[in-house]
Amino acid sequence: MSTDVVMPQLGNEITEAQIDYWSKSPGDKVEKGEMLLTITTPKLTMEIEAPASGTLREIRVPADEIASVGDVLAVIDQA
Amino acid sequence: MPKSIPVDPQAFQRAGELSFPRIPLHAYDRPFATELAARGTKQMVDILRHMMLVREFETMLGSFKAKGAYADISYVYKGPAHLSLGQEGAAVGAALALEPADHIFGSHRSHGEFIAKGLSAIAQLPAAELRQIMEQHRGGALLRMVEAQLPATTVTSTAENVLLFGLLAEIFMKADGFNGGMGGSMHAFFTPFGAYPNNAIVGASAGIATGAALRKKLANEASITVSMSGDGSTGCGPVFEAMNFAAMAQYGTLWTDARKGGLPVLFFFSNNFYAMGGQTIGETMGWDRLSRIAAAVNPQAMHAETVDGTNPLAVADAVARKRTLLLDGKGPALLDVECYRSGGHSTTDANAYRTREELALWEAHDPIAKFAAQLVAAGVMNQQDVDAMTAAVAASIAAVTRAAAAAAAVDVPADPTLIGRLMFSHEEIAVPTGEVKLLAAPDAAARIRQDAKKARHGIGPDGQRLSAMRAITYRDGLFEAILHHMMHDERLIAYGEECREWGGAFGVYRGLSDILPYDRLFNSPISEAAIVATAVGHALEGGRTLIELMYGDFIGRAGDEIFNQMAKWQAMSAGILKLPVVLRCSVGSKYGAQHSQDWTALVAHIPGLKVLYPATPHDAKGLMASALSSEDPVVFFESQRLYDTVEIFKPDGVPPDYYRIPMGEPDVKREGKHATVLTIGPSLYPALAAAQELEEAHGLSLEVIDARSLVPFNYDPVIRSIAKTGHLLVVTEASERGSFAMTLAANLTRFAFGSLKSAPRVLGSPNWIVPGAEMETSYFPQADDIIEIVTSQFHPDTHSNRRGIRNWDDRDLARKGL
Ligand SMILES: Cc1ncc(C[n+]2csc(CCOP(=O)(O)OP(=O)(O)O)c2C)c(N)n1
Repeated sequence: MSTDVVMPQLGNEITEAQIDYWSKSPGDKVEKGEMLLTITTPKLTMEIEAPASGTLREIRVPADEIASVGDVLAVIDQA
Repeated sequence: MPKSIPVDPQAFQRAGELSFPRIPLHAYDRPFATELAARGTKQMVDILRHMMLVREFETMLGSFKAKGAYADISYVYKGPAHLSLGQEGAAVGAALALEPADHIFGSHRSHGEFIAKGLSAIAQLPAAELRQIMEQHRGGALLRMVEAQLPATTVTSTAENVLLFGLLAEIFMKADGFNGGMGGSMHAFFTPFGAYPNNAIVGASAGIATGAALRKKLANEASITVSMSGDGSTGCGPVFEAMNFAAMAQYGTLWTDARKGGLPVLFFFSNNFYAMGGQTIGETMGWDRLSRIAAAVNPQAMHAETVDGTNPLAVADAVARKRTLLLDGKGPALLDVECYRSGGHSTTDANAYRTREELALWEAHDPIAKFAAQLVAAGVMNQQDVDAMTAAVAASIAAVTRAAAAAAAVDVPADPTLIGRLMFSHEEIAVPTGEVKLLAAPDAAARIRQDAKKARHGIGPDGQRLSAMRAITYRDGLFEAILHHMMHDERLIAYGEECREWGGAFGVYRGLSDILPYDRLFNSPISEAAIVATAVGHALEGGRTLIELMYGDFIGRAGDEIFNQMAKWQAMSAGILKLPVVLRCSVGSKYGAQHSQDWTALVAHIPGLKVLYPATPHDAKGLMASALSSEDPVVFFESQRLYDTVEIFKPDGVPPDYYRIPMGEPDVKREGKHATVLTIGPSLYPALAAAQELEEAHGLSLEVIDARSLVPFNYDPVIRSIAKTGHLLVVTEASERGSFAMTLAANLTRFAFGSLKSAPRVLGSPNWIVPGAEMETSYFPQADDIIEIVTSQFHPDTHSNRRGIRNWDDRDLARKGL
């Protein structure tokens, strides 16, 4: 089973955010609630946690790229 | 990057009780003989003479106020005279322990502190340096005048004459006064002797002295600042704000290296038990002893003490000990200096609030009589010596008075705009190129990497408007100018509420905390008054300050600091002092009445402030660069609704390199010939939308001019435009009544009367509260409202249908106060 890491809704006006950096690389083990990546909107920087425990299978939006709300940023394989 | 100051519930929820440090009361007990042995005869005799000079100087002022004469000199002195008769021990004692480089900031009752500080500096400075100071002040003009009028045999006595004459001439508002006659009794200053401006606003010096101490700390100066005010000032919120600002824990927890440690500021309260007629102990305040308030400020209770202000030696002892603590990074400190004002609050004081008995009790504690008696008892002087000194002091005050009374007045009729020219220097610094200490290279901040990838222009290749993530915004434009100055000018610091990790409430500084240390960018307490007052003090001492008020609506919390301090010190010092302060205020939206009002008119009304309000990313960047380069104080308004706006006017977008846009130049954003629409701030955008529609629907072209700057303001481009169009509409989001748009319209009616084909109109917000987000479009001027005015009033031949909802009768509303 796998879980998508999705770009969250960040208030009703923000539609896009930029990935600042990934704290994990594909193949790394991740724990649910652990900090996975940092994103930036025009106004603020925020951390996104892993939604499930498992192994980070792939990163779909690399650092410094822009993603829209709802986009899949990464996929976690659950053990 | 989060701070590493963990908030652990376990630590906080442990049972216990708070204890407070002991605050000594009148602990001084050094025998007079010991002081005499340590200080030597000359200094002890000087202490008496300095107190006598202060007393005689003020007796002279009191005599002019009461009788229009002193000795054989008649003079009508019209200004204030808040005398410190009876309080001389506090002033002279404090000055005794201060070095020339220590700076005092006084109050309305500070002639004594000023004279004492000057005399103390003169006694300490070498003759050559004294001479140089006097030669440098106004090219030696004051020195020459004093030498001609008051011949003296030593440099020291010449310097004393310069001090007394410069102060008295200033009190008399003469051109030769220390402030060129622009300050007067309550505002005198002479920085070379460490006498920084006194202040007529009770307690205002507290924040200014705190900011001055901040600059001393940042410049690694081994000297302190002293805030001097009365016991009544402890009732002033800004005094508490200042003490807390001075005591912020971050100086110890987060500031590093040489910058670690508390601010070197001493809060010195000359506690004469009364604030005019209100009695602080027992009536208007809650404290029993003034020093108690320090326990509320920090765990060290500001090293507070209550000392005997009628004994200059007790005061000097306490100030010297506090000074050592401050230089050691243990500041701030507080002294409650108990003394008694034997005269009235001012010369119109009927003394209705205290008894004869009380006055009689304090007579036995007169600092001069007591100290003279001690000197006589110790055999240093005899009574004849004391009498001779009294007579000599009176003679020198009489000579100084004669000269000051005869000095030339400021001749405004001969030069009617003389005072006006002192408001601003209009000077700008060169583009900063220095190197500063960084925590990390700039591209360590994701923000900076991200901005580097953005388009400079807001319209994409297919003509679509780019999002705030993809093109440089108004927020980014501001950031780029600020980044340049912060990266290349060590003197510039930035602070305000939530300025660091949060990046300022609207993210303008986002990313800066990754690269700049705490001593260049920090979170302040929620203390708007202290934010502005400290910025003023920091700038007066040679720093440059960029401060932020989250919302323009909070200007009220810093009213005195913006309107009386930031705005006025340049002119009140006859242009000697410079005030490079940029105050950023966002103009809100969506949060209702207390968070969304445009207060630009209020600020533009106060002489002495430059006021900017850009509407585009290009202008935001260029004007911010000018503001940060300005030696004059600037209030910089930013619209929250525009932070995400991208550049749509300049074909090349926002230039990546540093550039400045001169302040005061309105900018034609769209050319047209049927009506001139002059906009302030975000009103530019509805005006453009209206222009677009009028062009398409009626073939009418609007010339849209963005004011960009309120003060200064060049009317010429607008006059030229009206010559072409014949019609003027000024649009603002401020409430119409008393707005700057009204000023623009009134002046343009006069300047361009011959070209006008219809009465100019102002379209602002109505004179009621800003409603919530859901109702905002009913409140702020919309494109429809502009179209309505242009079609119905300027071009009725268009026979258009009514637009907008503003169908009210302005005259009827005015009758109802709306
Ligand atoms: C903000 C402000 N409020 C009121 C005044 C009017 N005022 C001038 S002096 C004074 C009393 C101040 O008392 P205190 O601080 O004890 O100093 P003192 O006059 O006793 O030296 C007042 C109310 C003022 N100048 N500024």
